[in-house]
Amino acid sequence: MAEPLTIALPKGRLTDGALALLARAGYPVPSNGDNGRKLVLEGADRRLRFIMAKPSDVPIFVEYGAADLGIAGLDVVREAERDVYEPLRLPFGYCRLVVAGKADRPDRPLRLERSPRVATKFPRLTEAFFRRRGLAPELIVMSGSVELAPLVALADLIVDLVQTGTTLRENGLTELRVVLESQAVLIANRASYRLRAGEVRALIDALAANGMCKA
Amino acid sequence: MPAQVFSLDRPLPEGVRDLLFADAAAWRELESTLRQTWTAWGYREIILPAFEYADTLATDVGAEIDAEMYRFFDRQGRTLALRPDMTIPTARVVGTRLYDQPLPLRIAYVGSVFRYEPPRAGRQHEFGQAGVELIGAAGREADAESVALAVAGLRAAGLPTFRITVGHVGFFRGLLNALALPEKLAGQVRRAVDRKAEAELAALLVEAGSVAPAARAALLGLPRLTGGVETFAAARPLCLNARMTNALNDMETVAELLDAYGVADVVTYDLAEVRDLDYYTGITFEGFAPGLGFNLVSGGRYDDLIGHFGPPQPAVGWALTLDRILLARELQGVIQAEPAADVLLGAATCPACLRWAAAARARGLQVEVDPLGLAPDELWRSACARGIPRVVIHDRDQGLVVRNAAGQRTVVADDWEEVLRWRNR
Repeated sequence: MAEPLTIALPKGRLTDGALALLARAGYPVPSNGDNGRKLVLEGADRRLRFIMAKPSDVPIFVEYGAADLGIAGLDVVREAERDVYEPLRLPFGYCRLVVAGKADRPDRPLRLERSPRVATKFPRLTEAFFRRRGLAPELIVMSGSVELAPLVALADLIVDLVQTGTTLRENGLTELRVVLESQAVLIANRASYRLRAGEVRALIDALAANGMCKA
Repeated sequence: MPAQVFSLDRPLPEGVRDLLFADAAAWRELESTLRQTWTAWGYREIILPAFEYADTLATDVGAEIDAEMYRFFDRQGRTLALRPDMTIPTARVVGTRLYDQPLPLRIAYVGSVFRYEPPRAGRQHEFGQAGVELIGAAGREADAESVALAVAGLRAAGLPTFRITVGHVGFFRGLLNALALPEKLAGQVRRAVDRKAEAELAALLVEAGSVAPAARAALLGLPRLTGGVETFAAARPLCLNARMTNALNDMETVAELLDAYGVADVVTYDLAEVRDLDYYTGITFEGFAPGLGFNLVSGGRYDDLIGHFGPPQPAVGWALTLDRILLARELQGVIQAEPAADVLLGAATCPACLRWAAAARARGLQVEVDPLGLAPDELWRSACARGIPRVVIHDRDQGLVVRNAAGQRTVVADDWEEVLRWRNR
């Protein structure tokens, strides 16, 4: 029996969407009861093995070949800048990475800002976004509750993911610019894409076919 | 055990490392295996300087490697750089020194190269490269030789499983011509193809507006043009111009030759491979092994490079990363034994023993002589601690006595038949 393909899944926001899509595509997936404790799970038909990873680690697992494939947000993939293939955009996990500031802040062009102090979990994308506009942002890299930063004068602006905008509104913040439109993507290890081409292609095609049905 | 003493005040700079005995032995054996392989194919080694003028090394390397070069100044304030690869220095040697030599030239090299790149997957800022260049031969025969030699090198290196994927920049360049997209969009298409982002291509075509249906079909079909030789038949109807057709013909002939070379089983084809599109001019190839997301070897045809240094010459070649071959081999369960001598010999003051040691070494045995004057039991413990399987001591009455895990007995000093069986190789 051949080794199963290993797929790294993000724990959290995208888990349910990823499992549901894989199930629709005909791959038995671990039940949600397992979710949380065991980090490596076997699919019932031994075609897939699942690694439950922190979302930002998914591209690393895949780049290094610890996983053949992975599902992650495009935001995470672009931020990580890992050398992986991205064969498919998946129809869930839609959100956007935005620049936000306090709602009472005058909305003038960012290029006229001095050197904004920006709190974010996405330093690379944030830096690139401001640099492209000729600005030298002062980055404050955080790992949680970024929307807190402007409220306590830790930062002028934040760059963070927004789904509906409720969290921003509740904290008196408003969306100023979109940095990136994000959704879930399937990523693939460059070696696995070659060495296990048949199985990888079958999975891509199955996900693509079942992704279309849903919309 | 005495307390361990660590020195924290002598750190190594980022990106370099020491290789200790087993690793160093594996490294040197790999080098020597590769050297034997390319020598058997008629390639001759050159030894290149570790640094030269930065503007020489920056010739045609692309922005990425350019940004990764170690640069520094000589005493006149001229900018030097450590070589970030060996192909550019080789091209300089060919263009400036070997331009009137009989062709083709077959050149090989091995050594360290230096790049400020994030240390990843067995590659530090300093890493080992070995490669070959076949210069002055433009044809598909030369392309096939280069790929076949890469396979021969990886096989000789003892790597159980690997794949080489062959592509051709002409196919995608021809497709870009046929698409006639604005520059910015062409760049986006290329990046999407590079990431195998199939769905994005459709979105980009929508953005492009009016594109001929045949060109649209070819672009959307591109990500699937990967696999075995059946790929060529699938690609044939998508050819839109002579450039694409020529590229496909090149690939088909190369595939036939690779079959004849007996390497077809490890080669796959990918017409959507667009890495280093600006550097390469014909076929390109990359080698991968399971569990390692980075290429072990990469190469291709680069007919435009040598012209920067002298009369233009067609050229094809590859370079592999020694560190990654060793890592890939380890991931596939090939373990390098810690090197140890075959014999630990007591009694350094005994002339007969030293004569025996000289004779044994001349026959290829690795003999360590104990310089400490250890007593027999201590000598055996010392041998065990260092993985040496046997000790030989000189006993006044019995002559040479050998002791190993099985016990102790005398040996006849000139019974070389038995002693030669001790060689651990």
